[in-house]
Amino acid sequence: MKVHYCDALVIGGGLAGLRASVAAQKKGLNTIVLSLVPVKRSHSAAAQGGMQASLGNSKMSEGDNEDLHFADTVKGSDWGCDQKVARMFVHTAPKAIRELAAWGVPWTRVQEGARTAIINAKQTTITEDQDRHGLIMSRDFGGTKKWRTCYTADATGHTMLFSVANEALKHDVDVRDRKEAISLIHENNRCYGAIVRDLITGELEAYVSKGTCIATGGYGRLYKSTTNAVICEGIGAALALETGVATLGNMEAVQFHPTPIVPSGILLTEGCRGDGGLLRDVDGHRFMPDYEPEKKELASRDVVSRRMMEHIRNGKGVPSPYGDHLWLDISILGREHIEKNLRDVQEISQVFNGIDPAVEGEKGWMPVRPMQHYSMGGIRINPTGESQNMAGLFSCGESACWDLHGFNRLGGNSVSETVVAGMIIGNYFADFCANNDVEISTATISKKLEEQQTYLEGLVKGQGTENVFKIKERMQEIMDDKVGIFRDGKNLADAVEELKELLERSKKLKIASTKMHNNPELEEAYRVPKMLKLALCVAKGARERTESRGAHYREDFLKRDDENWLKRTLTSWKSDEDLEPTITYEDIDIKTMEMPPAFRGYGAKGMTIEHEDASVRQAEVDNLTKEMQAAGKDRHEIQEALMDFDLPMNYKQKNERVGD
Amino acid sequence: MSQANREITISILKYDPQDKTVEPRFVDYKLEETPGMTLFIALNSIRSNQDADLSYDFVCRAGICGSCGMVVNGKPVLACRTLTSTYPEGVITLLPMPAFELIKDLSVNTGKWMDEMSKRVESWIVTNEETDISKVEAKVEPKVAEEVFELDRCIECGLCLASCATKLMRPNFVGAVGLNRVARFQMDPHDQRTDEDFYELIGDDDGVFGCMSLLGCEDHCPKNLPLQNKIAYMRRKMVSVK
Amino acid sequence: MNTTKSSNMGMKKSRMPARLDYFQSGSGLILGLFMWGHMLMVSSILVSKDFMYSVTKFFEGSFLFEGGAPILVSGFAFFIFVVFIVHAFLGMRKLPANYKQYKVIKETSSTLNHEDTKLWFIQAFTGFAMFFLGSIHIYIIMTNPDQIGPYASADRIWSGWMWPLFILLLLAVEFHGTIGLYRLCVKWGWFDGEDPRKTRKTLKKVKNYLTWFFLILGFTTLGAYMKIGYDHRHNVGERYVPSTAMVYQIDKVEVA
Ligand SMILES: Cc1cc2nc3c(=O)[nH]c(=O)nc-3n(C[C@H](O)[C@H](O)[C@H](O)COP(=O)(O)OP(=O)(O)OC[C@H]3O[C@@H](n4cnc5c(N)ncnc54)[C@H](O)[C@@H]3O)c2cc1C
Ligand code: HEM
Ligand code: HEM
Ligand code: SF4
Ligand code: F3S
Ligand code: FES
Repeated sequence: MKVHYCDALVIGGGLAGLRASVAAQKKGLNTIVLSLVPVKRSHSAAAQGGMQASLGNSKMSEGDNEDLHFADTVKGSDWGCDQKVARMFVHTAPKAIRELAAWGVPWTRVQEGARTAIINAKQTTITEDQDRHGLIMSRDFGGTKKWRTCYTADATGHTMLFSVANEALKHDVDVRDRKEAISLIHENNRCYGAIVRDLITGELEAYVSKGTCIATGGYGRLYKSTTNAVICEGIGAALALETGVATLGNMEAVQFHPTPIVPSGILLTEGCRGDGGLLRDVDGHRFMPDYEPEKKELASRDVVSRRMMEHIRNGKGVPSPYGDHLWLDISILGREHIEKNLRDVQEISQVFNGIDPAVEGEKGWMPVRPMQHYSMGGIRINPTGESQNMAGLFSCGESACWDLHGFNRLGGNSVSETVVAGMIIGNYFADFCANNDVEISTATISKKLEEQQTYLEGLVKGQGTENVFKIKERMQEIMDDKVGIFRDGKNLADAVEELKELLERSKKLKIASTKMHNNPELEEAYRVPKMLKLALCVAKGARERTESRGAHYREDFLKRDDENWLKRTLTSWKSDEDLEPTITYEDIDIKTMEMPPAFRGYGAKGMTIEHEDASVRQAEVDNLTKEMQAAGKDRHEIQEALMDFDLPMNYKQKNERVGD
Repeated sequence: MSQANREITISILKYDPQDKTVEPRFVDYKLEETPGMTLFIALNSIRSNQDADLSYDFVCRAGICGSCGMVVNGKPVLACRTLTSTYPEGVITLLPMPAFELIKDLSVNTGKWMDEMSKRVESWIVTNEETDISKVEAKVEPKVAEEVFELDRCIECGLCLASCATKLMRPNFVGAVGLNRVARFQMDPHDQRTDEDFYELIGDDDGVFGCMSLLGCEDHCPKNLPLQNKIAYMRRKMVSVK
Repeated sequence: MNTTKSSNMGMKKSRMPARLDYFQSGSGLILGLFMWGHMLMVSSILVSKDFMYSVTKFFEGSFLFEGGAPILVSGFAFFIFVVFIVHAFLGMRKLPANYKQYKVIKETSSTLNHEDTKLWFIQAFTGFAMFFLGSIHIYIIMTNPDQIGPYASADRIWSGWMWPLFILLLLAVEFHGTIGLYRLCVKWGWFDGEDPRKTRKTLKKVKNYLTWFFLILGFTTLGAYMKIGYDHRHNVGERYVPSTAMVYQIDKVEVA
C-alpha cells in the first residue's frame, strides 16, 4: 500500500489550484498538487480574452473602482451570487493582477498618445495620457461599465498559467502530473485526502493530508458541444458529491456561448459580430434582424445564442456530419480589416476548418453554433472556501460554487476568480492545514484503497454488454438537446429519466482490454458514471427550478422569480444505490445585501417577479448611504457599514490607483 | 458539402513499454474522412469505434495547450491542428515524439521533461524586491512587454526538441524551449538576474553552446517563436560574459 | 522571500565552453574566407599560366625579395594548418560521439526531411572527410612550398595522382565552407535585422549561389590543371618559365 502524507493536498493544477498551492507552501506547509495532465496544459491556458480587475489605468477605464466592478458582477449574476463573496473578490482582484505582474505576466501596457479603436462598429479615437504610459492596459468585455479586462494579447490564460505554475516550481511545491484523484478519503464529515490513480502505471495510492482543496475546473464535457478542453469532465466535483456528505451548488447554472466554430468548438471572439459580422442560415439568409430588429447580431450573448438555436429548430440550420450549424460571415468586413483586426479568427478558421473567412461568398463562411462554455455550479463552499458540510474539504476556481457568478458569470471574471480565490481560499485553506491534524486510522485508509482497487478490477473483469463510449456519447447528446440553452419541464423530465437509465446501464460495462495500467477505456469506465451523476444534478436542478435566471432559461417559466427562487440549489448524493441526487435549497437573504435585486439594465424589462424584501432593503441602503455621505464618510466606510467582509493576509488594504 | 468522402488510412506505431509481451508494431486503421477532420477527431473516432486501447494525449484540441505533439509522416506537429485533408495520398503515419519518455502508443511524457527544464533554467522571476500589491504596479515600456510576451507564448509542446537532432543525439541538451525561456527572463525588467547569473544556467555544452544551429526548432515551432534570433541573442550575451 | 537562487553557490561556471564556441566560429570564419581567396588564387590558372605564375611568386613575396622566398608560403601554410587543426578538433566535439548518435542524426536528417538539419549532416560528414583529405594536401604544400606553379602543381595533380583526392576535397570544402558561413550568420544572428526570417531566406539563397559558383570555378580549375598535367606528363619536374613581359608588368605594378 502506497501512502503519501502531506500537510496540504491540492487536487487540480489549473490557475486556481496552483495559486492556492503557492499560498500553502509559502506558509511553510508541505504541499502537493495533483493533476491529470502537466499543469501548464490545464484548461486555464485556453482563456484568451482577459482578466477583470478595476485598475482604472487607461482612458476608457478611468474612474473604475471596486464598487463598479461589484455592481457589474452582481447584475451579471442576476442577483444569484453571494454579495459578500463578490465584495471579497472585487477588492482582491487588483492585488491579484499586480502580483501576477510581479511574477512576470507580460500584461499589455498603456501606450501614450492617440490610437483608433472600433466601438459599437464605429471608428473612434482614444488618447492615452502620458502619466499612464507603461501601466497595465484594459479592454472592453461584455456587461461591464468600464473597460476593465486586462490582457496579454490573445493569450491571457496561457501567460497567467505559466507564471503561476513557474512560481509554484520556484517555491518547491511538489507538483505531480498524470495523477487522478478518483475518490476522497473521509470519515465523520471530515476530509483527509484522496485515493489517487497513477495514469501511467495504473497504481492506486493514498494521499493523506490535513486539508484537501479541489480545484479541478468545470464540467463542460457533460455536453457534446462545448468550448471546454476534453479534460473538463467535472470529476473533482463528482468526488465531493460521492462522499454523500458534501453538496454541490447551482449545478443547473451553465453558460453558453453563441459562436464557437463547428465541429471543434473552438471559440471565435465576439469581436466578429462587434465589428459587423453577420449570421446566416442554410439559405444564406441573414436571420437575426427577423428576431431582433433593433440590435440584430449585437444583442447580448444569451439572446443571440437562443435565437440561433431557435432558428436551427425552425429547420434553418445547415446540416453537417457534426450536427446542424449556422454561418458566421465576416467576409463583408473586407480582407484588410480581417487580416489586421481578426487575425486569430482567421487563423483558427484556416487551420481547423480550411476556410479563409476573408474570401467572399459562401466559401468564406465559418460554421458556428452556440455551445456550452462555463460552469457556474460546483462544490458549494463558504466564503472561506470550505465545504458547508465537510470539514477539511476546500474548493476554488471553476470547480467551486463560491458563489461569485450566481446564474451568469461575466466575461473576464473567471480567470480573475481563479487567482483571487487561490489567494483568499488558499490562505484560509493553509490556515486550516496548519491548525489541524490527521486523525484517521491507517486501517480506514487501506480500506478505502482496497474498495477502489476492487471497484477498478471489477470494471476490467466486468461481464456486462454496455459500451462506455456509447453511453457517454448519449449522455452528451441528452445534455445538448434537453438541458441546453432552451429548457422546459417536459424535456428536462425526459432528460432526468434517460440519464438515470444510462447510470444504470453504466454499471454493466464490458471493457476490451483487461490491463489495469494505461487503459483509456478503463478511465472512461470509472469517469462516466461520475459524469452521469453530475449530469443528473444539472438536469434535476434545472427541472425543479421553475423560473428563468441568468443562463438558466425556462421556456415555460420566462420570468425571474425572486419571490420563490432567490435561492441556491444544493444537490447531494446520499447513497451509492441512488439514481438521482437529493435536492435542498439555501435562501439568499436580501436583508443583508448591499445591492438588492432590481432590473439588470439589459434584456427585457418587466420580466421579474419581485420579492417583498427588495424595496425595503433598497430603502435602507439608500438612507444609510445618504446619511453617511452627509456625514462626510467616504465610499469605503459606507460600504463597510452596508455589508462588511473579511479577507486574509493584508488583502483588505485599500487599492491604490493613479487616478486617486 | 455533398462530395463523397474518401477513405483514409491511419497507421500508428503501437507500443506499451509496460507490457513486454507485445513488440512495437504498426497498426492500420481505415476510416471515412469527414469535412474538416483533424487528427483529434480521427483518433477519437478510432478509439470509440475500432481500438479502445489506443493511447494519445489531447487537452485543449485548439492548438494552445501543447499536449498533442506527435510525428506525422515524419514531421513533429500538433495533432489537433492537423487536418487529415493536408495529406492528399490519404495515408497518414503517426509515431510518438522522440526526445521524450514513451508512455504508450502516441503518448509521451513531455510534462516531466518540461518541469525539469523549468527548474534547471530557473524559469521564474528572480528579484530581491518585495512588491506591495496594494500599490500601483511598476511601469513597463509597452514595447518591452510585447517583446517578452512574444517569447512567453511558448506552450512547452516539445516540437522543437523532437525536431532538434542535437537534442536527440545528446539527451541533456536544454533545447530551444529552455534557451527561449532564459531569453524571456533576460529581457523581463522584473527579473534582476545578470548575464553572469544566466551563464550559470546555460553557459555550457548542454546549454546555449550545445546548440548547433540546426534550426529544426525554428521551423517546427507551432507558435512561430523567433527561436533562431533569440538563441543567437543569448549566445552573444553568453560569450561576452567575463 | 525572493532570494537570488544560483545553481552552484559561489562556484563560477567555467568560461571555457564560451571560448571554445567562439574559437570554433572564429577558426571557421578564417578558414571559410581563406578558402574564397585560395580558390580565386588557384583559379588564376584559368587566365593564363603566366598569371598563375605571378600570383604564386607574389605570395612567395617576390615584391620584397628577388625571385621570392617559398618559406613564406610554408609559414602561411603552417598558420592555416594550425587554424585548420584547431578548428577540426573543436568541430570534432560536435560530431556524433558514437554509432548510436550517428544513427540518430542520420535518421533524423532523413525522416525529418528538414533542410538545415541535412545541411549540418553534410557539414559534419565533409568536415570529417577533410580531416584526412585536407591534412594531406596542406602537409604536402607546407613541406614543398617551392613546388607550386603552373607545371609543378599540374604535375602533382596529374602525375602525382592528386586529382582524385582533389575532387573529393573540392566537393567537401565547398559544401562545408559555404554551409559553415551561412551557419555562422544564423548562429550569431549577424544580419538578422528587423525580419530575421527574411534574412535567413536571403542568406540561404546567397549560400546556394556561392556553393555553385565555387564548385564550377573549382572544377574548371581542376580540369585546367589536369589538362596541363596530362600534356606535361612526359616532362614532370620541369619548371615553368614565364614570359618576361608578364613578370615585368607585375613587378612594375608592385614596385609602384
Ligand atoms: C475557450 C475558453 C475561453 C475562456 N476565456 C476566458 C476569459 O477570457 N476570461 C475569463 O475570465 N475566463 C475565461 N474562460 C474561463 C476560464 O478559463 C476557466 O474558468 C478557468 O481557467 C478555470 O480554471 P481552474 O483553475 O478552476 O480549472 P482548470 O484550469 O480547468 O484546471 C483544472 C485542473 O484540475 C486537474 N484535474 C481535473 N480533474 C482531476 C482529478 N480527478 N484529479 C487530479 N487532477 C484533476 C486538471 O488536470 C487541471 O490541472 C474561458 C474558458 C474557455 C473554455
Ligand atoms: C578537418 C577538417 C574540418 C572538420 C572536422 C570540421 C568540422 C566542422 C564541424 C563539425 C562544424 C560544425 C560545428 C557546429 O555545428 O557547431 C564546422 C563548422 C564550420 N566549419 Fe569546419 N571543419 C573542418 C574544416 C573546415 C574548413 C577547411 C573550413 C573552411 C572552409 C571550415 C569552415 C567551417 C565554418 C565556417 C564552420 C561554421 C562555424 C561554426 O558553426 O561555429 N571547416 N566544422
Ligand atoms: C596555406 C595553405 C594552402 C596553400 C598554400 C594551398 C595551395 C594550393 C595550391 C597551390 C593548389 C594547387 C594544386 C597543388 O599545387 O597541389 C591547391 C589546390 C587545392 N587546395 Fe589548397 N592550399 C592551402 C590550403 C588548403 C586547404 C586548408 C584546403 C581545404 C581543406 C585546400 C583545398 C584545396 C583544393 C580543394 C584544391 C584543388 C582546387 C582545384 O583544383 O580546384 N587547400 N591548394
Ligand atoms: S519553443 Fe515552440 S516548439 Fe518549442 S516547446 Fe515552445 S512552442 Fe513548442
Ligand atoms: S534545432 Fe537544435 S541545434 Fe539549436 S537551433 Fe534549434 S536548438
Ligand atoms: S490538444 Fe492542446 S495543443 Fe493540441
